[in-house]
Amino acid sequence: MIPDYSIGLLVAFASAGVAFFALMRETDGLHRLLLTDLIEVVTLAFIALVGTDLAEALILPGLVVGVSELIALSEIYRVKEGYVRPPAAGLRIEVMESAPGILAAILVVYGIVLSGFSGGAVAGLGVIFYFLCRDHSERFELIETASGYSWVFWIVAFFVFMLLPQYWFFAVMLAGSAILVKVLAKMSLIGTMRGGPNA
Amino acid sequence: MPEIGGSDLFVLEFGDILHYYSPYTLTLFLLALIFTGLAILSRPEGQVDIAFGGDAYYAKETAVSEMRFRRFMTIACGLATMGAMGSGDIFNFTLFASLVGITNVGIVAAVKSRHVLDAAYEYGIVAMVATLPLFGGAALILATTGTLSIPALAAGAIAVPPVGKALLALGVIGEGMAPFYAAKAEMFRAPGAPYVIMCSLSSLLIFLRVVEIAITI
Repeated sequence: MIPDYSIGLLVAFASAGVAFFALMRETDGLHRLLLTDLIEVVTLAFIALVGTDLAEALILPGLVVGVSELIALSEIYRVKEGYVRPPAAGLRIEVMESAPGILAAILVVYGIVLSGFSGGAVAGLGVIFYFLCRDHSERFELIETASGYSWVFWIVAFFVFMLLPQYWFFAVMLAGSAILVKVLAKMSLIGTMRGGPNA
Repeated sequence: MPEIGGSDLFVLEFGDILHYYSPYTLTLFLLALIFTGLAILSRPEGQVDIAFGGDAYYAKETAVSEMRFRRFMTIACGLATMGAMGSGDIFNFTLFASLVGITNVGIVAAVKSRHVLDAAYEYGIVAMVATLPLFGGAALILATTGTLSIPALAAGAIAVPPVGKALLALGVIGEGMAPFYAAKAEMFRAPGAPYVIMCSLSSLLIFLRVVEIAITI
């Protein structure tokens, strides 16, 4: 009986081989960028194969590194090819004109009830939905600043955990609400990415 | 534990995740620190073009404002290198190494000219692909030994698989390829001299560190 880990490792190495072979054969710049993303996924599979709590904690930074490199490379590709996208109007769907208010409010309230990372994702989804459907004329620097400060509070909460463990309840609440605001702010920016001066 | 870097001078523990400095890594850390300080203090180099066949020359002035992004990337690269020097956890080391890779892409890509951006794009793809052996090696080491802490691995309860070490080294080589691409794009002749050197220095330092790690564990 071959252990599961070995089978998984074999599959991951085979996928890596296929991805590298494809990357070797491909000459078009954009397609090569997409193929590197394929390799990133195999990287995450390598970490995920370990299958412990620690591996779960390691996947997130691995994913962040991959995504940030992908964004940086896309930006380089866009600049070097000289692509400038004209700003497009938002979604023109009649239902979307009236629906987002109540739906976004429900999602945001439910996200605040959930709090923490998942709550931020739910509330962020509501804000994305609102920005996608309605016009967006917000002060984006303000959102980014709020996101930055809440990230700092999150880190402060971790220092409280390490240095003053007796105040753990305060730190839990601080971390929960700070990560809620951070994820919400970061995700809400996605809803506004449609070119133009603010994007 | 083969202490090729000398005995530990300083250890900061967070559980089994720790930072430590031996004389070897401290030397590398100080190199990165000094160069980051120089990059913060120095002004961009002014260039002089000699007109061929005469006495005339053109002096090019490079303003600090043009170089802001590259200076920021250089400082970030220096911080990432310093982190990689002190880290006693293999996964943290791989994260710092890939951060060095990303900031090097930023340094190379800061020049807005077509062939420089082409080189930066090629290097970025290499750096991105190199995360596969880098994280793959760390994951293999974790899976076989159950720990990522360098002192615990060096204590040697379970032997670290050579393929894990090889993948780790291969990944760092991929992340540290920046000087070749900077040379390919002739960036060493482009204005903004002190910042480009950070590519070479950080690549050298992370490579020296991964050699130490591969021998120690």
